[in-house]
Amino acid sequence: MEGDLFTVALLSSGLRLATPIILAALGGAFCARAGVLNLALEGKMLLGAFVAIVATFYLGNTFAGIFVAMLLGGLLGYLFAFFYLRYQVNLIILALAINLLIGELTVYVMRVLFGNVGSWSDPSIQRLPDFEIPLLSSIPILGDILSGYNFIVYFSWVACIVGYIVLFHSKFGRHIRAVGENKQAAETLGINVRRVQVSAMVIAGMLCALGGAFLSVGHLSLFTRNMSNGLGWVAVTANIFGFQHPLGVLLTGYFFGLAEAFAVRIQNVTDLPPNLIQLLPQFATLAALILVALREKANLALIRRRFRRQLARGEMQSAAGD
Amino acid sequence: MRRDIVKAVLRRTPCGNLMANAVELRNITKYFPSSNVLANNDVTLSITEGEVHALVGENGAGKTTLMNIFYGLHRPDSGEILVNGQPVEIHHPDDAIKLGIGMVHQHFKLVPSFTIAENIMLGIEPNQYGMLKKKDEAEMVRQLANDFGLPVDPYARIRDLPVGMQQRVEILKALQREAKILILDEPTAVLTPQEVKELLAVVRNLAQRGRTIIFITHKLVEVKDVADRLSVMRDGKMIGTRTVAETSIPDMARMMVGRSVLLELDKKPATPGEVVFAADNITVTDASGLPAVRHISFSVREGEILGIAGVSGNGQTELVEAISGMRPVEGGTILFQGKDITRRTVGERRKQGMAHIPEDRIKIGLNLETNLDENLVVNRYKLPEFNRLGFMILSAMKRFAAFAVKQFSIAAAQPGEMIATLSGGNMQKVVLARELSGEPKFVIANQPTRGLDVGSIEFVHRSLVDVRDRQAAVLLISVELDEILSLSDRVLVMYRGTVAGEVDPTTVTKEEIGLLMGGSSLPGTATSAGSVQAVPKPQKEVVA
Amino acid sequence: MDNYHRQQRVNTFLVPLLAVISGLVVAAVLIIFTDNSPFAAFEELFKAGFGCSSLNRCAFFTTLERATPLMLTGLSAVVAFRSGMFSIGQEGQFALGALTAAWLGFALDLPPVVHAIVIMLAAMVIGGIYGWIPGVLKVKLNINEVITTIVMNEIAVLVLVYMVNFPLRADRGTTAYSPVIDETAKLMIFMPGSKWGMGFVIAIAAVLAVYFYLWRSAPGYEQRMAGQSSLFALFGGIRNDRAAIRGMFISGALAGLAGAIEVIGVHYRINQDFAPGLGFTGLSVAILGQVHPFGVFLVAILFAGVGLGAQLGLQINLGIPRELGGTVIALMILFVAAEKFYTDGISGLRERWAHFRGQKTAVELAMEERE
Ligand SMILES: Nc1ncnc2c1ncn2[C@@H]1O[C@H](COP(=O)(O)OP(=O)(O)OP(=O)(O)O)[C@@H](O)[C@H]1O
Ligand SMILES: [Mg+2]
Repeated sequence: MEGDLFTVALLSSGLRLATPIILAALGGAFCARAGVLNLALEGKMLLGAFVAIVATFYLGNTFAGIFVAMLLGGLLGYLFAFFYLRYQVNLIILALAINLLIGELTVYVMRVLFGNVGSWSDPSIQRLPDFEIPLLSSIPILGDILSGYNFIVYFSWVACIVGYIVLFHSKFGRHIRAVGENKQAAETLGINVRRVQVSAMVIAGMLCALGGAFLSVGHLSLFTRNMSNGLGWVAVTANIFGFQHPLGVLLTGYFFGLAEAFAVRIQNVTDLPPNLIQLLPQFATLAALILVALREKANLALIRRRFRRQLARGEMQSAAGD
Repeated sequence: MRRDIVKAVLRRTPCGNLMANAVELRNITKYFPSSNVLANNDVTLSITEGEVHALVGENGAGKTTLMNIFYGLHRPDSGEILVNGQPVEIHHPDDAIKLGIGMVHQHFKLVPSFTIAENIMLGIEPNQYGMLKKKDEAEMVRQLANDFGLPVDPYARIRDLPVGMQQRVEILKALQREAKILILDEPTAVLTPQEVKELLAVVRNLAQRGRTIIFITHKLVEVKDVADRLSVMRDGKMIGTRTVAETSIPDMARMMVGRSVLLELDKKPATPGEVVFAADNITVTDASGLPAVRHISFSVREGEILGIAGVSGNGQTELVEAISGMRPVEGGTILFQGKDITRRTVGERRKQGMAHIPEDRIKIGLNLETNLDENLVVNRYKLPEFNRLGFMILSAMKRFAAFAVKQFSIAAAQPGEMIATLSGGNMQKVVLARELSGEPKFVIANQPTRGLDVGSIEFVHRSLVDVRDRQAAVLLISVELDEILSLSDRVLVMYRGTVAGEVDPTTVTKEEIGLLMGGSSLPGTATSAGSVQAVPKPQKEVVA
Repeated sequence: MDNYHRQQRVNTFLVPLLAVISGLVVAAVLIIFTDNSPFAAFEELFKAGFGCSSLNRCAFFTTLERATPLMLTGLSAVVAFRSGMFSIGQEGQFALGALTAAWLGFALDLPPVVHAIVIMLAAMVIGGIYGWIPGVLKVKLNINEVITTIVMNEIAVLVLVYMVNFPLRADRGTTAYSPVIDETAKLMIFMPGSKWGMGFVIAIAAVLAVYFYLWRSAPGYEQRMAGQSSLFALFGGIRNDRAAIRGMFISGALAGLAGAIEVIGVHYRINQDFAPGLGFTGLSVAILGQVHPFGVFLVAILFAGVGLGAQLGLQINLGIPRELGGTVIALMILFVAAEKFYTDGISGLRERWAHFRGQKTAVELAMEERE
């Protein structure tokens, strides 16, 4: 039994489950870098999940459905930005209100459209196809781990790498980081702070919506009430743990995904409690937060000690000089 | 210094086109509804091309606001702006930059984790298809720095740089954008004397290269040193523009403050008694961990006012915070009524009879979100009068508020009134009422009349002298020389975190004290000793 | 009082009113999509949420029952906010409080009343400690409390899921439930037909206690001053750090109590979805209630009533999905938070009106006042 726990399938299902987390956390990272705390990842993801499946149903094409979901996700990101920048709504309140609103509104619309149901699907809806990457898939074990997913999974990896390049090697990314670190510095140099922050939030909205779409038309092909089920909050945590860095987020997102996969696996294979595994990355995040804070504190104490030592020496010198 | 000014005037005479106005700000008005402040009230200002134009005025006079409007950071409620004779609309700093306007802000606007090159090139990055060309960028910065003789290391990170260097980056930022009109907002406030000297040389040099410079400062000596003309603002209004060469420093001061001398206070001679408070060799660091107060010693006796004069930013804030217990000291001891209180909390110090009138009544001295009653008891809510078994006695608080309103004539206020509805002068009276009633043994008064009208100033002065006459020890910190001289019984001058000297307020001349405030106590003393860290010396001689 | 302050004061009343109206207008649009008349729907919603046809068929009692946990989590947020801590950890503290109650409810063997009291105290201690931790982390290590409470919410919910599925699991059905608690642990119920009972009384007591604590006691005074202006508090001699940690402990205890009452007063056992969003709703209650205990009292009842009205009145009678209730609530929170939208609008209208009547604008008035 024990031997069956760690399999290639586990690693690859971890990658699959990590996809929505990685995408949303990447969106969160863009926002954080632009100086906006985005706690509405959950709501935006849920919107994406809902819109993707409904649009797929009406348009008859999964890709078109996903496209519409990303458009609406971007629009929600824009609304978020609008309320925050134009009317200076507290970011946390705004995010919680949006999460609540989307959570209720999606079910409301689902019931108005499709009758009183708790979850909805239609046989016409095609799940996004998986495909192998030609060369990669022929490598033994690695091919099994890295190949054979639908395009959203691959996209999430590419997005992180591109995100890294954009943030740290492009003009736009530098503006984002400047705005996030010192808004006024950017503003006084003629950078349009509003536009930069709005772009970051629209990007985040689209990424979250894509993550949500993965749930409803990529992984499964149905929508249920509160389908994101806290994954948006997991993404918030993954973003914190990944230090708002696109590559960091790729790793921590995978860590969280792997923990989920492991939990599922444990449940299927053994009688051991699965949820304790999911606690692992959460505790790791908390530990990382504390360690970083401790290091900062230690640094400060060091500076202070050094200064006091200098002071003591200085006093001795001047006393001798008198 | 004189010769510089003559030179500056001569410099432009042959050019002939010296009458061209580079900038004209006409009837600018700006009202801030959020703070209910009329920051600019019908302000008009003309700047000639190629001149160094000083803009002076007290804190809150509206200088920064005016320049922010000119730079596109604020929109005025009315008024118009002309650059080189053309009416212009400046909606955004981008517009200002395009018009050749550059601004070095009072509080630097740099991105700490970015390098010098990244900061200077922010917004105008050399790039290919949106991807940065980091090498070119550094090269361009190096080039620019050499052109202007302001060398920098393009790869150094801002957060590791001293203030003077950060300012240089700010100036380079403007020059890289080919600024023809350069605004410097209080550029010297944060610099060491050596750095100030260098900066003034840079300013002159830039003017010689045809840049127009608007130089905001509080320090009239600098105005004399570097400017061709000056304009004075007070309370949101433009008071007037003068030629520097024809205006004396006292005249400038009068224009700034709006009155020549303070009203004479009839105060009895002091009857100093025991030492109440003593600071022994204390050293304090500022928020960034740099030393702000170095090895200061002094003592205050009951029944006297000890004044601390000095230009703002010379460590007064940190000194007061350390004495009152809001900031830890790095070295030395503080004695209060003979007891060592160096490690005591604010609450414990206050309980023993320390009172504190802070420099910023809005942010520190008062809680604007609550009412008069609760503001008045923050230092006494634990006393049995106001507190029974952990419950506040509201009726006692109300009574105390009524008493304070009457005793300190806080106009238009009654118990339960929200503090935010009071005027500045009445807010300060609330602070005084809280700090001075209940017979404090030691009163720290830091800039107690900042931003007040003449009537309120008089009231504050009267109150401080009264509490001294009740045999309290008073420590008065002020940048207003007249205030220090008319109130204090003894005066220390603070400069760069140390005590530059002690003077007798009855005999000292303004010139003498001005020299001490400028750090050049003895003519001929070399100030080029290099880094500041080399300066500290224990001030044994001033221990009373 | 001058012109400026008079306007400020008017806005305090006008803004929430306009926000609620805006929420209802959007709701009306959503109702129209279902081919119902908005007015009929609102009437139905009101009757079902706040009406009372007879004593033992009284919807309002159910509303009060449902308002109870909202009141307590709302108070929890109030206490935290008022100490300057933006804690969003009510969710996790609620979950742990519920878990504690579900466990002690069958594990202890105590006489009636005593059993319930012990459970509630234990839940408060557990919740309190769970609030205290982020407080300490903030004060000692300067770790943002928003972030720690988010992570700790996740942890608490996972612990609850684990406990329900494994150590506390009572049966082998499809959904895991904890065992039903002992009769001795249950809180008294006033009216049959709803679970309205002792829990509500405790919540009212908590409203009053929080009010007295914050506005009448010295520690409460310290906490409010620290929350409103930490510099002022430091300057005045108040220990900001202690006030913040104390606030966080009390906040956690209240949320823990909410969880306990929900178990021993209403459900008597827990499943793994026991705390879906109740903590966050409590937070919204606090914000809409102007971060004041009495405001929380009213808004909690409003929220509960709208929710119940939407479920019974709209869904069952008119076929309008009950999620409309939650939607309206979310919109109201959003609109109240967008206060500036209304204040800008109001002052714009005022300026225009003044201009129309040839009166002076705010700038002109300010200039005149300073002559
Ligand atoms: N953004 C703002 N919102 C509200 N009030 C403001 C704002 N900016 C400035 N003020 C107010 O306008 C007044 C003028 O401020 P300003 O910064 O222009 O003064 P200043 O002359 O530069 O003073 P200082 O010498 O202290 O720099 C002050 O009372 C200030 O509080
Ligand atoms: Mg200024």
